[in-house]
Amino acid sequence: MGTGGKVRVEVERSILRAADEASRGIRELLRERGIYAINLISSPGSGKTTLIEALLSRFEGKGGVAVVEGDIETDIDAERIRRLGVQVRQINTRSSCHILPEQLLRALAEMDLSGTRLLIVENVGNLVCPAEVPLGEDTRVVLLSVTEGDEKPLKYPLVFRTSDILVITKTDLLPHVRFDVSRVRRAARAANPEVEIFETSAVTGEGLPALLDRFESLGAAKCTSSASPTRS
Amino acid sequence: MHELGVANEILNIALSESDRHAAKKVVSIRLRVGVLRAIEPGNLSFLFGHVARGTPADGAVLEIDEEPVRVDCPSCGVSDARSIPWECPTCGGAGISATGGESLEIVSLELDA
Ligand SMILES: [Zn+2]
Repeated sequence: MGTGGKVRVEVERSILRAADEASRGIRELLRERGIYAINLISSPGSGKTTLIEALLSRFEGKGGVAVVEGDIETDIDAERIRRLGVQVRQINTRSSCHILPEQLLRALAEMDLSGTRLLIVENVGNLVCPAEVPLGEDTRVVLLSVTEGDEKPLKYPLVFRTSDILVITKTDLLPHVRFDVSRVRRAARAANPEVEIFETSAVTGEGLPALLDRFESLGAAKCTSSASPTRS
Repeated sequence: MHELGVANEILNIALSESDRHAAKKVVSIRLRVGVLRAIEPGNLSFLFGHVARGTPADGAVLEIDEEPVRVDCPSCGVSDARSIPWECPTCGGAGISATGGESLEIVSLELDA
């Protein structure tokens, strides 16, 4: 009270609380609409857009899918997805190296989500920042291509620790690169014993049916558990 | 550059606490930062100094306590590490589990009332 002098104030508060609150808003919106959401995270060039294309080409009922593309400046990836006849929305993050939950919430509010069952969010290519920021997703997926080296889970542990699924991509290139899949499995499990691991190639189609089945069963489990009998 | 977003969040929280206590100045801010957060304390302090300029937190010192990863080894018990290791950093054994190192929190503030 104006007497001067120093006081210590105990705070014990997460620095990311504002982002956590926005991501709760997204989670709520998705739950109300019965939408299952995936957040795809990886370094640039590990095949996020290609994986989305490959999954969508096998997905029945594309009307039920919506894609949000995060990119710092361009809309090149969004154009690729639009060609497949799927609703797609671009978020240019500009100075931010990940999609902010506020940005996603605004994008979702402007989209027509009637009939949407599955939302795929392609985050900005980066293994550090997107790992810090939850987007209200049901399933967080980290991609690691076999050209990137098998020590990534130890170098970028947070994204591997916080992801539900690890997709090893470009497995058709395994004969040509130094990449030990068993080493990656071991490192990923050291960061996250619960992580589910899939090995895929968008070229040969290896692993895609299993991954798609897994997404469908996770999506179905969410919709059953959140379906309310009074909903029209 | 992801320290910039973190620096801004720290400033927001520090200023709202300083307001709430009708303080003149934020003197120091104690943080707990996990080693898995990829935050370089020097960068964070520099960026914080930049964003805090002209606010009541101008010149506030960041006191950063780094939280290590806790490695649980079935053969030799618990030890600390700077990152998630392939094997136990103490005995080299396998079958370890690594926890912690993810904190990103403001612990306390020192205010000039
Ligand atoms: Zn040991």
